[in-house]
Amino acid sequence: MGFLWTGSWILVLVLNSGPIQAFPKPEGSQDKSLHNRELSAERPLNEQIAEAEADKIKNTNPPESKPSERNYSSVDNLNLLRAITEKEKLEKGKQSIRSPPFGNTLDMEDVDSTKNRKLIDEYDSTKSGLDRKFQDDPDGLHQLDGTPLTAEDIVHKIATRIYEENDRGVFDKIVSKLLNLGLITESQAHTLEDEVAEALQKLISKEANNYEEALDKPTSRTENQAGKISEKVTPAAAVHDGFANRENDETVSNTLTLSNGLERRTNPRSEDDFEELQYFPNFYALLTSIDSEKEAKEKETLITIMKTLIEFVKMMVKYGTISPEEGVSYLENLDETIALQTKNKLEKNSTESKSKLYPVPSEKSHEETDSTKEEAAKMEKEYGTLKDSTKDANSNLGGKTDEAKGKTEAYLEAIRKNIEWLKKHNKKGNKEDYDLSKMRDFINHQADAYVEKGILDKEEANAIKRIYSSL
Amino acid sequence: MARRGGRVLLALCAALVACGWLLAAEAQEPGAPAAGMRRRRRLQQEDGISFEYHRYPELREALVSVWLQCTAISRIYTVGRSFEGRELLVIELSDNPGIHEPGEPEFKYIGNMHGNEAVGRELLIFLAQYLCNEYQKGNETIVNLIHSTRIHIMPSLNPDGFEKAASQPGELKDWFVGRSNAQGIDLNRNFPDLDRIVYVNEKEGGPNNHLLKNLKKIVDQNAKLAPETKAVIHWIMDIPFVLSANLHGGDLVANYPYDETRSGTAHEYSSCPDDAIFQSLARAYSSFNPVMSNPNRAPCRKNDDDSSFVDGTTNGGAWYSVPGGMQDFNYLSSNCFEITVELSCEKFPPEETLKSYWEDNKNSLISYMEQIHRGVKGFVRDLQGKPIANATISVDGIDHDVTSAKDGDYWRLLAPGNYKLTASAPGYLAITKKVAVPFSPAVGVDFALESFSERKEEEKGELMEWWKMMSETLNF
Repeated sequence: MGFLWTGSWILVLVLNSGPIQAFPKPEGSQDKSLHNRELSAERPLNEQIAEAEADKIKNTNPPESKPSERNYSSVDNLNLLRAITEKEKLEKGKQSIRSPPFGNTLDMEDVDSTKNRKLIDEYDSTKSGLDRKFQDDPDGLHQLDGTPLTAEDIVHKIATRIYEENDRGVFDKIVSKLLNLGLITESQAHTLEDEVAEALQKLISKEANNYEEALDKPTSRTENQAGKISEKVTPAAAVHDGFANRENDETVSNTLTLSNGLERRTNPRSEDDFEELQYFPNFYALLTSIDSEKEAKEKETLITIMKTLIEFVKMMVKYGTISPEEGVSYLENLDETIALQTKNKLEKNSTESKSKLYPVPSEKSHEETDSTKEEAAKMEKEYGTLKDSTKDANSNLGGKTDEAKGKTEAYLEAIRKNIEWLKKHNKKGNKEDYDLSKMRDFINHQADAYVEKGILDKEEANAIKRIYSSL
Repeated sequence: MARRGGRVLLALCAALVACGWLLAAEAQEPGAPAAGMRRRRRLQQEDGISFEYHRYPELREALVSVWLQCTAISRIYTVGRSFEGRELLVIELSDNPGIHEPGEPEFKYIGNMHGNEAVGRELLIFLAQYLCNEYQKGNETIVNLIHSTRIHIMPSLNPDGFEKAASQPGELKDWFVGRSNAQGIDLNRNFPDLDRIVYVNEKEGGPNNHLLKNLKKIVDQNAKLAPETKAVIHWIMDIPFVLSANLHGGDLVANYPYDETRSGTAHEYSSCPDDAIFQSLARAYSSFNPVMSNPNRAPCRKNDDDSSFVDGTTNGGAWYSVPGGMQDFNYLSSNCFEITVELSCEKFPPEETLKSYWEDNKNSLISYMEQIHRGVKGFVRDLQGKPIANATISVDGIDHDVTSAKDGDYWRLLAPGNYKLTASAPGYLAITKKVAVPFSPAVGVDFALESFSERKEEEKGELMEWWKMMSETLNF
């Protein structure tokens, strides 16, 4: 179960793509041609005049309503979103590339130019702010000016605190505090819960491994930055060897900058560095330890799953949708889980064949049950979030969970294919970042237009917008 | 934070996808859905095409998915609303969606005009998805088609009727339930009967094209017209469609104009002026459908009279007389040539058969679209190069004219042969050109028309010249 989840995370991260290609569509013609009325030479004059007036009104209305809509619907989201994307961008070292695209859009004679300018302003003011905050105030839950910390930091902090105090009430206290301060919405709170649960689990497993390898841990942690960088580069390079792609250079250098960013993260993260060294060997060791005859099916399934997931990660990193560091960490997490579960299962089987009794396996299966229980609990939480969020007024999906799930699935798949194609189709293009924002604007505009026309539900449009804005 | 939330949702969804994949890998794919499981999505089934019936919400979703996957070449719009308020959705596929590029012909498919004739509706949804997929795969035929044509696909003209038909319990659907729109109007008998007018004009003299010119206002005020009918009429008037097909069910044949018999009898071959090209067009559809073009196929029902069927095609009137149909309305009110395709003996067959209907029709659907690039096409301009809209292009020997669109562009579908084309416009001198037309591709013929006033000026100039010369010679 666990690896499915991690695998799914990887799949999910497809959508965190970077470069998308040009999408030139002047806005005025979109509205007009939706009717295509001017093609007919036969329409009575009155009608044509009425049409022209209606179009005029139409053209003035959307631009007015949209900026306010945008602001209203996503101020909170936008803040956190920006915080997250800012952090990501920081790590990817693409900050410098960010500002010129928005500078370019200023030149576009576009109805949406006012929208873009707003974004630029906001980005400018918070960008530097976040930089400062990130360095100066690692402990507070929120900043003095009300902007929340990046979500990941919050999650880690809360998880750590819960772990330390061994009390789930900590989470509730913190979340209610955030809710009262209006820093997060309810749906975000639910999501936070999931994140924290996951981080907590990571913490626990880290600590468990910590305990096992206590001797080696301190040495790795006391290594200096340079050492850690080299550690990162080695596994990253190992991963990259698998990617036959000239973008490797970029990603390797990103990895270097990444490890610098990593230094600022909380403790659990640093422990990952050590384990990454053993990342591949771990899996292969397990594989060979599986008795080929008896566990052939297991082995094959494992291999297939592993291969697929590695392919996913490769693809993701190749397209730049996730950083190599993230890819490695997910695979590592996956590896852990596989190792644990398979080991348990094997031991259970081997003791079965040996003694045909179940005292020992029961212990192992108890462990297994624990981890699967956690996974199940996580699943329930996820599902619960899903359920709750559909009831929530601000939900991304309307209607029943099943339908909504299927629909979002379909839309996600479609968007993924679109972006894949755009990337493939425009390998030669250099203006990739620029076109991402343009694409996003286009999608936003189209989604709104479609809602007006009754082609899309409001919720669907929001879902699509959110997906694109999260890229 | 929203991104996180999105991630979580996506994680769940992606997990489901991964689950599905694994299940499939272990050959544990769940069997065909029971009636209650209509909502289940089989995403991975053949490139994202799920071969199941789409109700209105799913239809919308499917089209939105195609748009999301192929934003560069697609656009969704609506031509109006059904009686019960459902959008009459169209998905447009073209290299510049939303824009008529001068010289680029416009094509349309309309399905499910009879709500209980469901195969057409589904095929069109599959087609939209297929075109998107194939385009992204670089399928040359599809890429060229989409770059050179503007394709409009309306899966359902009668979504209300479909809902009624689909809501029937069990697999066996009634022959009539859901056929008409929510008002009980049979949409394919609801169009203004221009055939009648044409038949009169044939006897007494008068035009046989663009007959709606004077009737447009009447259309809007006509209370007998269903909202769906009105919406389509406006659609036809607004976009210079060149070729079209209207998908039905209940039999297996490609039917071409005229649908209404001249004498009013039940069966009579009623050819239109463009009988030759229409036979070719109909055959272009049927010949790629192995069942439709099978000469040894038994009729759909034991006592059916399919004596008029030739190579899977039939003249409308020869089969049975249909007044007020959309097919003939297209031909007589606009430049658009439309045929009616009957896709299935059973009007609303079981869901499991949809995939095989797709396999049978997929090549036909593509082949028929390609027919739009036949005959003659070009621009009608004045001597300064400015386009002349609404110019008339007539073909010697074929008593049916087409007109040029806003950019002066025209398209005249013709069977192979030698023709004389004449372009004319009020205030301009007509020009005739000889053209040899192959089977395909379309031959480009442009016209540069001289206006009367220009000619007058020319003649005046000539006269002055002559006078000057005379006066010089004769010394006065």
